Amino acid sequence: MKQKHFYSHIVEIDSLVIELDKMDLTESEKKHLMSIVESSVHHAVLDAILSELSEDDKKMFLQHLAANDHDVIWQHLNDRIENIEDKIKKAADELMRELDKDMIELKERDPQGSQ
Amino acid sequence: MASTKRRVSHYEHLRRKWISRHRDLQTKLWDKHREALSFLSQNTKQLAAGSLGALMLLSAPSALQLPQTVLVASEKIGQDINKNLFLVSDLASVLPHEVRSLTPSEEKEIAEIFSRYFRLNVSAELGGKRLNRSYGLIGQEQHLARYPGDTIYSHFDTKEEKEVFGEEGMAPGRGAWGYFAPSKAEFSKKDAMREKYYIAVQTFSAPGFYEHVSEYRDFFKYRKMLVVNPENGRGVVTVIGDAGPATWTGKHLGGSPEVMKYLERVDGRERGPVLYFFIDDPEDEVPLGPIIVQ
Repeated sequence: MKQKHFYSHIVEIDSLVIELDKMDLTESEKKHLMSIVESSVHHAVLDAILSELSEDDKKMFLQHLAANDHDVIWQHLNDRIENIEDKIKKAADELMRELDKDMIELKERDPQGSQ
Repeated sequence: MASTKRRVSHYEHLRRKWISRHRDLQTKLWDKHREALSFLSQNTKQLAAGSLGALMLLSAPSALQLPQTVLVASEKIGQDINKNLFLVSDLASVLPHEVRSLTPSEEKEIAEIFSRYFRLNVSAELGGKRLNRSYGLIGQEQHLARYPGDTIYSHFDTKEEKEVFGEEGMAPGRGAWGYFAPSKAEFSKKDAMREKYYIAVQTFSAPGFYEHVSEYRDFFKYRKMLVVNPENGRGVVTVIGDAGPATWTGKHLGGSPEVMKYLERVDGRERGPVLYFFIDDPEDEVPLGPIIVQ
């Protein structure tokens, strides 16, 4: 299910998998929740990147993204944005913290859940 | 005394919360970078489908992968979600920011987009008749009794369907057209599909309704309509199965639990904007239920 993205080496979502493993979920439920996480992170990362680019560079970046050529994507980003890796990581980490908080609150409020 | 409040599973709780958060992220991304994303959707139509993997994640998460236990037949489709992305983009270029009645030229453009994406003959006006609007807020309706004696216990074909759709309950009265079938013995699959994928529209507010009540009633009864959520591109072929909601509710139409779930309009707010257009289907060839972008 998990896809390899150009930012996969700096954005780590496995900690959420571990937390979901501790909950009373079926495999398919876990997979679905992780697909939401993955897509959410993708949106947050793209927003962080696009917010740093001009309109023309946004279009070029999105075309590179569609072609899924990681080397070209990184060259494009590194040439135009300072510390882009840090910015991507920061955006993803902020979202992950919120998702993590959702799980902690849920487990505290309803340790067993229900089916 | 035991509480009757239904407890929500961890999965259901997180699913609702995270989909809501995902929707916010999606909206924010499109609002901020609409020009570039629209450009991309226009220019990736020529790319090989296999190269669009990174873009597929830009679509609604529930279309990505749903657990088998909560899947209904309607949700097994929706694989080709990058096409929904293009539809969403095309609709966004026409729709106003606020949910208001569309102008004739806007309706024409939307009808053309739908006809192109869904390969249906779609329009806001059919045979000189139209509803009060074609873009409005949809709210959740309850299940309708399909024949005399139909209850929540007899309403579903499978246990899974009952689990997913049972909690909405049955409407206390019948729909505007009465029962879907006069008796259980005469109840057909077609009747079942009509109830499953019904919408309630404000027939009473249609221009000309009160001058030609019986003619308009016959026209609207089980008339097929395409309902589309413009935020995720999901479309469903429905019939008009009831009249409502009342204008004071602030809603413009209602959807059966099955319609609302497929459109992903069940998110706590239980209302949101949809487009609803007539389908010209004189031979009754267009099947009811979810429809995928071609």
